Amino acid sequence: MLNPRWRKVLRDLWLHKARTGLVVSAICIGIIGAGSVLDAWSLLRRVTRSEFDASNPASAVLRTDSVDAVLLARIRAMPAIAAAQTRRTILATVQTSLGPRTAMLTSADDFVTNRIGVIKPDAGAWPPRDGALVIEHSSVDFAGVALGDSLTIHIGDGPRLSLPVSGISRDVGLAPGWMEHLVYMFATPRTLAQLGALASMSELQFVVRDRSLDRVAVQRIARDVRTLVESTGRKVSDVNVPVPGRHMHAAQIDSLLYTQGAFGLLALFLSGLLVVNLISAMLTGQVREIGVMKAIGARGSQIAAMYLTLALLLGVIASLIAIPLAAEFGRLYAEFTADMLNFDIAGYRIPLWSFALQFAVGVLLPVLAAAVPVARGCRVSVSDALRDFGIAGPASGDSALLLHGTWGLPRPLLLSLRNAFRRRQRMALTLGTLSVGGAVYLGALNLRASVIGAVDLLFAPQHYDLSLRFAHAHATDSIMHTVTGVAGVASAEAWRGARALVSENDGPTGGSFPVTAPPLDSRLLTVAVDSGRWLQPGIANELVVNARLVEDVPGIVLGGNVSLIVDGRLARWKIVGIAELGPSPIAITTRETLDRLSGRVEATSVVIAAAAGAPASLSLVRNVRAALEERGFEISSGQLTSEQRSVMEDHLLMVAGFLGNMSLLMIVVGGLGLASTMSLAVLERTREIGVMRAIGARHGVILTMVQAEGLVIAILSWALAIPLSLPMSIALGNAFGRVMLKVPVHLVPEPAGVLRWLGVVVVLSLLACAWPALRATRITTAAALSS
Amino acid sequence: MTTPLIILRDVSKIFAGAAGPFSALSDVNISIDQGEFAVIVGQSGSGKSTLLALLAGIDRPTTGEIVVSGTAVHTLSERQMSSWRGVAVGIVFQFFQLLPTLTAAENVMLPMDFTRRWPPKERLDRALALMHRLGVADQADKLPSTLSGGQQQRVAVARALANEPAVLLADEPTGNLDSRTAESMLDILAGLVRDGQTVVMVTHEQSARRYATQTIMLADGRVVPDDALVHA
Repeated sequence: MLNPRWRKVLRDLWLHKARTGLVVSAICIGIIGAGSVLDAWSLLRRVTRSEFDASNPASAVLRTDSVDAVLLARIRAMPAIAAAQTRRTILATVQTSLGPRTAMLTSADDFVTNRIGVIKPDAGAWPPRDGALVIEHSSVDFAGVALGDSLTIHIGDGPRLSLPVSGISRDVGLAPGWMEHLVYMFATPRTLAQLGALASMSELQFVVRDRSLDRVAVQRIARDVRTLVESTGRKVSDVNVPVPGRHMHAAQIDSLLYTQGAFGLLALFLSGLLVVNLISAMLTGQVREIGVMKAIGARGSQIAAMYLTLALLLGVIASLIAIPLAAEFGRLYAEFTADMLNFDIAGYRIPLWSFALQFAVGVLLPVLAAAVPVARGCRVSVSDALRDFGIAGPASGDSALLLHGTWGLPRPLLLSLRNAFRRRQRMALTLGTLSVGGAVYLGALNLRASVIGAVDLLFAPQHYDLSLRFAHAHATDSIMHTVTGVAGVASAEAWRGARALVSENDGPTGGSFPVTAPPLDSRLLTVAVDSGRWLQPGIANELVVNARLVEDVPGIVLGGNVSLIVDGRLARWKIVGIAELGPSPIAITTRETLDRLSGRVEATSVVIAAAAGAPASLSLVRNVRAALEERGFEISSGQLTSEQRSVMEDHLLMVAGFLGNMSLLMIVVGGLGLASTMSLAVLERTREIGVMRAIGARHGVILTMVQAEGLVIAILSWALAIPLSLPMSIALGNAFGRVMLKVPVHLVPEPAGVLRWLGVVVVLSLLACAWPALRATRITTAAALSS
Repeated sequence: MTTPLIILRDVSKIFAGAAGPFSALSDVNISIDQGEFAVIVGQSGSGKSTLLALLAGIDRPTTGEIVVSGTAVHTLSERQMSSWRGVAVGIVFQFFQLLPTLTAAENVMLPMDFTRRWPPKERLDRALALMHRLGVADQADKLPSTLSGGQQQRVAVARALANEPAVLLADEPTGNLDSRTAESMLDILAGLVRDGQTVVMVTHEQSARRYATQTIMLADGRVVPDDALVHA
């Protein structure tokens, strides 16, 4: 049988359901906020590692003319190589119910025996059969197809064929198709041949024998493989060596989760403050009981143990409710994030340590939060405790002076104003919670504006409406002659593109990166250089690069010289400027420089500005495409700049949205804080409300007073949130910069956003105060005065 | 000659108020023997409740000495005071002060729980025996809010007696009861005295004086002769 004091603890929990509910809710919010991110993180780390490793990702990929069985056997025989295989990837165009889409077709001699970058069947047939296509899981929605549907596909000038989609599979090594705006598909070499493409394999994937090697060591092996391939007379156009064992988006996802984790902890901290508030109020309500218990022989330590146990029980209840919910949210979030990484998360369990950590925090948080109020409550002397108690006298200090006059306000409203300041500590905590929520909300709006601004900046140098890429290089004059004759084309430029490889004394090192080469006098690309200068005419090979390239490729520094193999030719290049050119590594030189190095005046793409009154549209793309194809130009892909922009904007705003979502959590915590503060205020002023009713206050007056008091706090928090949003905007901007790309941080919130937040806090306040206000109106005079 | 159970020597109590120091008790000297029914009377603000609080170890004197059952109460630390209070005195309050979330029996068991003076297995039996003695055993499982004022006060007396205190201190125990119930409560306290219990009761009811073996009259914080107020 439990001792009476422990029974009191349990009954206090049960009989004060509203208070218990508030404390439990506060702890739950904190645990759900931090726990769901922790669960998602633990799940994603394990799943991405295990699934990514299980796919046996390639240590490196080389692109060359073609790889036959003899060459493949020689590469497989190299001591450092554990396995090697070949495939071909080729761009195509598919007609979908949602419009034309660029597709990336991957073909292999035998998908089943391929053991590198293993593709998992999802539904339908695997591997693809001749005359059919298998679509990658992440492209299904983007292509708007279902298993069994047919897609019309063509490669360059090849025949347009309607091929059935016979299966869905998953390649975890690919960034999601919906994100990249690409339809990834798999087909046999014979299907490729039917579509008019070469059936031979042009990509060589290999896995090194020692999987513990770092990137530099793998790059050395890739160089040996390249040397071997080139010794057979083949050209190697690209060598890609990813960071071993790390998914291409792993760093971004880690940053995103760390940032959200930080917000989760902030929510946990704020809910901790809420618990401090509630437990302080609970102890205030029990001062007399504490006094009685002391009077009949209880020691301070015994009473402290009772209330700390009460807090512990609240933590246990909250943890039992919140941990499963956090797991559910965590799974959903992990699934969503896994989708961004193109992983399948179904069927994985959250590790026990994550639950244990959440339980420990959930149980200890209220105990720690209660420690100070309990210590203070237990120090109250018996005589003080047994004396008639209630709210301390009127506010003193500056706020009292401020509220001394009537300011022409109605009495009840004035009373609400004064009431708001009577419990200063509680007021400060509630205000702080709501203000931080507001700051995150406004900061997220600023981040959104920053991201749109950053995309504006990124696309500001691009004065063209569409771009078309050729399958092979063509003479510049011929391209220009054809394109400028198409109706609706205002101006056009033929650009050259290549891939570059950093080279050291004994050959190429590192991965490759793209080099874009517009004409020196380009009017359709005018880049603003952040540091250094723009390209100048002359005999030097100059490059302007973006910050991501500087980060990714050692040896590329502003003002430095670097040996590069571009289009198979080794030359020294000078880095003359750094510009913001997007989140992927890229370099820019002039077309003339590449022409000079190759000895041929040719281009690999054309960019076009639409004439005024003939806006860029798919019909313009079709017309230009038709004109070019009529003259024998093979086009591998075409894209509207507006579409390219929307792809990037979607990409970036999604991440910004993720960060902004945390403000919702803060709003809930803030709302709970306000609701608890007002409930306690009503509870503490029961007698006062009774007196007011005794002297004639009607329901409406009492209701208005409580709501007005809540509104005072809400509006103050709104005003505080505006300056607080400045550091929050900087923090969010920096976090976004780490995840995606540096954005120009907006510090001043937009007036519309500020007003919207005002609307949110007003509604929040009305909702949070609704129940306390209703309770206040139900207090009868007789009951209030006899309490 | 036996030593008095309660001795107050030159006890003064001064409160610091917003309007300056306020003297609640001045040079109070009292001695109460074992088994006495001491009644402290006086008008409102005379210092009766302050005096009882000092006897209970709830408050401390500004000057002077208080010895209860051989313990110099004024020298105890807060922690020692709590432990001492649990076993040496039992307190009955005007507004009963039963804990609302505990049943009547649990309220009576609570002091035993805090002081661990009785083995856990004996506590319920002892509580029920005390409640039986006070005529409220049939209310044992009820919450205080369901009891009448008189029943609550009887439970409060049972709780005060839980640890067999040397002194039962009662602060206006009849102040919140109707006259019939109040009379009954005084009978109960008198009965306890007859059984050897020392009772010190603060009251403003003159009728209570007929039960007293000693009446302590307070006026403006000082002990005055029993008939002082009558002649004033």
